[in-house]
Amino acid sequence: MKYIGKGIPGKNNQILTAGKGTFVGDITLPGMCHLAVVRSPYAHARIKSIDTSAAEQVPGVITTITGEEIVRNTKPIPTHSSALGEKKFQFYALAIGKARYVGEPVAAVVAEDRFTAKRGAELINVIYEDLPPVVDAEKALEAGSALVVDEWGDNILSSRIEVHGDPDARIKAAAGTVRGDVRTQRYTGCSIEPRGYIASYDRYRAKLTLWASTQSPHSLRLFLSETLGLRESQIQVIEPHVGGAFGLKLPTFPEEPLICYLAIKLERPVRWIEERTENLLAGGHAREMRLAFEAGYEKDGRVTALKVRLLADVGAPSALCGWGMANVAAFLIPAVYKIPDVKVERITVVTNKCPWNAYRAYGKEASMLMLERMMDMVAERTGLDRAEVRLRNFIQPNEFPYKQVSGASLDSGNYQRVLASALEAADWSGFPALQASAKKRGELIGIGLAYELTPEGGCIPKSSLLSAYDGTRVQVSPKGEVTIMTGVTSPGCGNETGIAQIVADELGVSPDIITVVQGDTDTCPFGLGNSSSRSVIFGGSAAKLAAGELRDKMSRVAARMLEVSPEDLELDGGKIVVKGAPSRSVSFADVASTIYRDAFTLAACDEEPGLDTTRYFRHGNFDAMNKQPDPEGRLNFYSTWPNGATIAVVRVDIETGMVTVLRLLSVHDAGVLINPMLVNANLHGAFAQSLGGALFENLVYDEAGQLQTASFMDYTMPTAVDLPNFETKHEETPSPFNPLGAKGAGESGISGPMAAVAGAIDDALRQAGLSVHVMEMPLTPNRVWKYIVAAKNAQRGNPQ
Amino acid sequence: MKTPVEVTVNKKKYKVEVDTRMILADMLREELRLTGTHIGCGTGNCGACTVVLNGETVKSCCIIAADANGQEITTIEGLSSSATELHPIQQAFVENQGLQCGYCTPGMVLSTLQLLKDNPNPTEDEIRHGISGNLCRCTGYQFIVQSIQDAAKRLSNGGQPGASQ
Ligand code: FES
Ligand code: FES
Repeated sequence: MKYIGKGIPGKNNQILTAGKGTFVGDITLPGMCHLAVVRSPYAHARIKSIDTSAAEQVPGVITTITGEEIVRNTKPIPTHSSALGEKKFQFYALAIGKARYVGEPVAAVVAEDRFTAKRGAELINVIYEDLPPVVDAEKALEAGSALVVDEWGDNILSSRIEVHGDPDARIKAAAGTVRGDVRTQRYTGCSIEPRGYIASYDRYRAKLTLWASTQSPHSLRLFLSETLGLRESQIQVIEPHVGGAFGLKLPTFPEEPLICYLAIKLERPVRWIEERTENLLAGGHAREMRLAFEAGYEKDGRVTALKVRLLADVGAPSALCGWGMANVAAFLIPAVYKIPDVKVERITVVTNKCPWNAYRAYGKEASMLMLERMMDMVAERTGLDRAEVRLRNFIQPNEFPYKQVSGASLDSGNYQRVLASALEAADWSGFPALQASAKKRGELIGIGLAYELTPEGGCIPKSSLLSAYDGTRVQVSPKGEVTIMTGVTSPGCGNETGIAQIVADELGVSPDIITVVQGDTDTCPFGLGNSSSRSVIFGGSAAKLAAGELRDKMSRVAARMLEVSPEDLELDGGKIVVKGAPSRSVSFADVASTIYRDAFTLAACDEEPGLDTTRYFRHGNFDAMNKQPDPEGRLNFYSTWPNGATIAVVRVDIETGMVTVLRLLSVHDAGVLINPMLVNANLHGAFAQSLGGALFENLVYDEAGQLQTASFMDYTMPTAVDLPNFETKHEETPSPFNPLGAKGAGESGISGPMAAVAGAIDDALRQAGLSVHVMEMPLTPNRVWKYIVAAKNAQRGNPQ
Repeated sequence: MKTPVEVTVNKKKYKVEVDTRMILADMLREELRLTGTHIGCGTGNCGACTVVLNGETVKSCCIIAADANGQEITTIEGLSSSATELHPIQQAFVENQGLQCGYCTPGMVLSTLQLLKDNPNPTEDEIRHGISGNLCRCTGYQFIVQSIQDAAKRLSNGGQPGASQ
């Protein structure tokens, strides 16, 4: 019986559905006190003074803290990598000198209960000198703009121009050009469980324990050890059940060292559970990018040159890893297409808004949207079918691994097959007939197509957060129980189940008898946790290696017990069986027992006692034997390259601009699927987040840098009625660079739907004789209506 | 200021003293240690805190704990006797992968309970409307909708998995 490829429900489903999960807010420790954070009400302000005396007089307030104490007693919070050429800044747990966004932690209060802590926080008197805020990325670049970081001299965090070939000359020589200005709005992941931490200090063992709603306990431990000046062995980080993360719970947030510092100082457990408004103000934002492009194409639809200016507004500088999303957006161009001459100019700007943190798709979505808008326009200009234009520009199946002009090394794929499968499933060619009959009914419907590339298994040099490896330990006990301890974690995405399936297949046991332990720095091997869909490809591959070693050892012992050679044995159904002679077997548990309890018997005496192996898996696909950069000085940032075609059908109400998604279909290639049910589950979640971002989610700031959408009253996410039933299909081109052939499936499904919906809206409006290319997200009724009005006006001024 | 509250939760009587500012969700979680009721927003928008109050689902973040005095409440913990003996709705969620992180799940399950009580045989559209007060950020709702369809079958079939159609 094989478990890889089976749709098995998540291992934690029962306990979670019973309401017996343990999220960080469910934990109570004896003597626990509560933290409340004082946050800047200004986007940009100098902190003149802080008076904590009134707060300290409140009965029940235990302590207060300001930036001054933090600077004296902690080191700056390190950033996740030092190799990406960004300007430097010293980050601390509390603002020092200036507050740079509304919601930035400025001071804090610890009290016996939450009400008292909040009361204390209200009484902390901070005198600010209001400074002019920088809230717009274009304006931030103007000479004379206010400066977010005075010492930098400008508001540019980093910038880079990457040129391959001579795109200017090629564009001039091209048969035609298309231009556009794609904008993705600021929005974020909003897991339903907000952030939260409990820190506790054990004076006797000189040990700090932090329960954290985090994705990367080991990385967090490393950061904390540097900030707090503790040895790593003095810190245990535990990730209990996590109620969704989507990248936004990657370290390191200022509250993390803050609460740890306070727990050590007070020698009492301290808890902080984020409120939703705090989450929206300071829990990490994403996406706000502008990609102005110009492309040259030939009559046959081939795009020969592309120039892009990418401007990213990453908010205030922070130790979070979010600003790297702009780098990835640039790096991904031109994705699945063979465009020889490419120039990408990236400018990453800081403003007085919430800092970016990583959010699912990590910048890939913005460049995908740009590329797909470009392809749609080329199709329109050349009169070719939108699918045909893409086919003519795709990398060919026999060209993998394919080196993109950006340095990206694409492991595997067959875009032609995936696209063909999607067109067929959606009945692409039959759509015009549907559209015509809808029009007769007075309905405007349209179809859109997008191809997405979602590289996974991120790898950044000198990084304590992202690298293309992970470690897994597999143990078989004397009773034959199997335990997996892995450095990858599962903040609600299901990889624990997939990894159990992988080990089950190696050991011939049921995944039900396997315990998976994750998210504990004292128990699990060092690993980089969960992000970039890395858990199965790295943690799962390491598990396969470790379990494979145990399988071999158990086979050797079983072979002696059965007096056959190990090659004649297979592990299946909890037994070790002679191939072709099912009656001759020993049970898995008997072999384990023999190894532990009969170490000196003939069957086991030549083997090292014990069944316990840790293996680290290093992923292939990095040049010159996994070294970076490649001989041309380029970096490849990703291990595997999942991809997929998405087709969306929408209805547009021309009177109101209201868009309804009627159908969303995706054919996806994640390589070998370990658990198709959980892959689909992840895809569905991504589709929902993608459509939310495409249609309405928006973090809106006013000119003073005040967030207008700081609660779920104003920040709207899709409910069940806003979404269609999704259709998914899979194609498999295995990755040759890991033993599973898997490519990861956590982020896929973000980029495709938004681009497909954009194309579908254009297509629907074409039925009304309007030429529209929607470029600006989100496509709210109001915005679509504006596009309609502009197209009508253009038509009137310019009758055909 | 503290005030005494007497409530029946999951058929068990409790007497507690709570801060007058405390919301019902916090009383359940902090005072009664019934942590299956979750808090996602505190403003009545996400439904993670859904409980059954006198037979109707409510968002327990929008109710002051003191106002629950004398009332009868069912939380997710009251639906099943243990994590291994689940209510048919819960079992349907487990088997249809109607959850991922599980944070919204107790609220979803209780909203389903209400939905299927009001309408034992809902259409997909009615299901989607029935849970539109509960946000889920992980699943895209599809497997939740399937779970609820399956739950409806199970409930009309004495709790057993219905014959698949
Ligand atoms: S916590 Fe009550 S509705 Fe969100
Ligand atoms: S399962 Fe995570 S929010 Fe619903």
